Amino acid sequence: MSKVQTEQIDVTLTEDQRDCYQEIVNVAMGQAADLLARLLNVFVIMPIPNVNLIEVSELNMALESLEGTDSASAVCQGFIGAGIAGEALLVFNDASFSDIARLMNYQGELTSNIELELIMDIASILNGACLNGIAQQLDVQFSQGHPVVLGQHCNLTDLVKTKNRTWKKTLAIEINFTIEHHNVNCDLLLLFTEDSIANLNTRISFLID
Amino acid sequence: MSEKTQDLKEFHWLMDLLQTIDVGLVVLDREYKIQVWNSFMENHSGLFPNEVQDQIVFDVFPEIPIEWLKNKSESVFLLKNRTFTTWEQRPYIFRFKNYRPITGMAEHMYQNSSFIPLESAAGHVDHICLIIYDVTDTAVGKLELESANQELAHLSRTDRLTQLNNRGHWEELLIQEYKRCRRTNVISSLIMFDIDHFKLVNDNYGHQAGDQVIRITADTLKECIRETDIAGRYGGEEFGIVLVNTDAEQAKLLADRLRTKIESLIIESGEHTIKYKISLGISEFDDSILTHSDWIEQSDQALYFSKENGRNKATIYADKMK
Repeated sequence: MSKVQTEQIDVTLTEDQRDCYQEIVNVAMGQAADLLARLLNVFVIMPIPNVNLIEVSELNMALESLEGTDSASAVCQGFIGAGIAGEALLVFNDASFSDIARLMNYQGELTSNIELELIMDIASILNGACLNGIAQQLDVQFSQGHPVVLGQHCNLTDLVKTKNRTWKKTLAIEINFTIEHHNVNCDLLLLFTEDSIANLNTRISFLID
Repeated sequence: MSEKTQDLKEFHWLMDLLQTIDVGLVVLDREYKIQVWNSFMENHSGLFPNEVQDQIVFDVFPEIPIEWLKNKSESVFLLKNRTFTTWEQRPYIFRFKNYRPITGMAEHMYQNSSFIPLESAAGHVDHICLIIYDVTDTAVGKLELESANQELAHLSRTDRLTQLNNRGHWEELLIQEYKRCRRTNVISSLIMFDIDHFKLVNDNYGHQAGDQVIRITADTLKECIRETDIAGRYGGEEFGIVLVNTDAEQAKLLADRLRTKIESLIIESGEHTIKYKISLGISEFDDSILTHSDWIEQSDQALYFSKENGRNKATIYADKMK
């Protein structure tokens, strides 16, 4: 009984499946955005999520919605349950911090410590709400790891170092949040491991038809 | 609300707490059968509590070394005493994936664990609890730090061009050897040598060629010395060799071997062929040498003597050179 699956796994995505993931995440993200909007008392703009099966090495390219970003900060949180494992990665354009701080009523000088507070607060809200939403729809429960700061004020390519060669492909669902009339731009990336995809596909097969 | 429903409610959220806490909780009985399996264990193993209930833990997880775990656990049962394991001893007890499977550096989860005796109402320990902590980030951080430190230590001691000991580190080793000689009266020797007319190499063939000459000199030096000898790049084109447990005559043998070997080299650098020679000075430790710098000074005196007497020579220091 091997716990870490090594066998060949089905890593394909049909159009129906892709639409279904898009819909599930759209609902989950909608809940997350709603929380954020209520917390900040703003209007959150959220396009349709991008669903892609990509090479792990292409992860940096997946962060394309943050184009023009020289410097970013990121928090990452692992989750696992029911044979589905992955990470929620929240990447903040560093230019967003001054507006976020104002929206969240942080006074005084914007130190890197306060920026960390901000990104952790927002990560808790977005990751939490989004993962809950997905878990509910898939009828699973996730264990959530402790959030990890991947880096502050880094180059995007430095943020996500994927030295771990275990996974070739990842199901990446990307959504870009912006806040109306404010210079706030962040990317939430849900990454599922290759061996989760078969389990995920089984779960959503109940939702398709 | 009756006391009973109150208790029941409390029990409910207590169970919820144990279920959702982000550490692994496993209760084993005397036969190592699994009695409790919280959701951390469920989610990371992919096995439901009802699948593992009353199963012997070694049957479900053959990767756990039976004797090792039993040794740890028996002392907990017997002595009613806690015991602990760290990732340094054994990276994990249960082989789980990294909690951050994609951006994490490690393939598996590093685990610390505590074994806790659970006393029954009668005061017997019939069950133990294994608490499994995910310490992957700490472990990876520590491992990376160690390897970075090793790398830095190497870089701080090594000359970039020649990969020999750099001057600072070589001098430290020389000081050590000097002190050892003073204490033990075991004789060691010090060779200092440099490349004859090195400036001409640079002037005629360029600095690239100069670097090549220095690098090849260092490589030849590495081939000639014994494992116990300590070689370093002392300055631009000057090198030093500490020959442990070696008198001046033996040192001269090595010096001449190195000298003739370099004399016979033909270096191709671009369209040029370069031939060059070295001059060496040797001095043997004796009690009249008061500091390690004096020792270097003596070898240098012998080296100047070689230079003044026709170059391409190795000379042993003698008092008259002062």
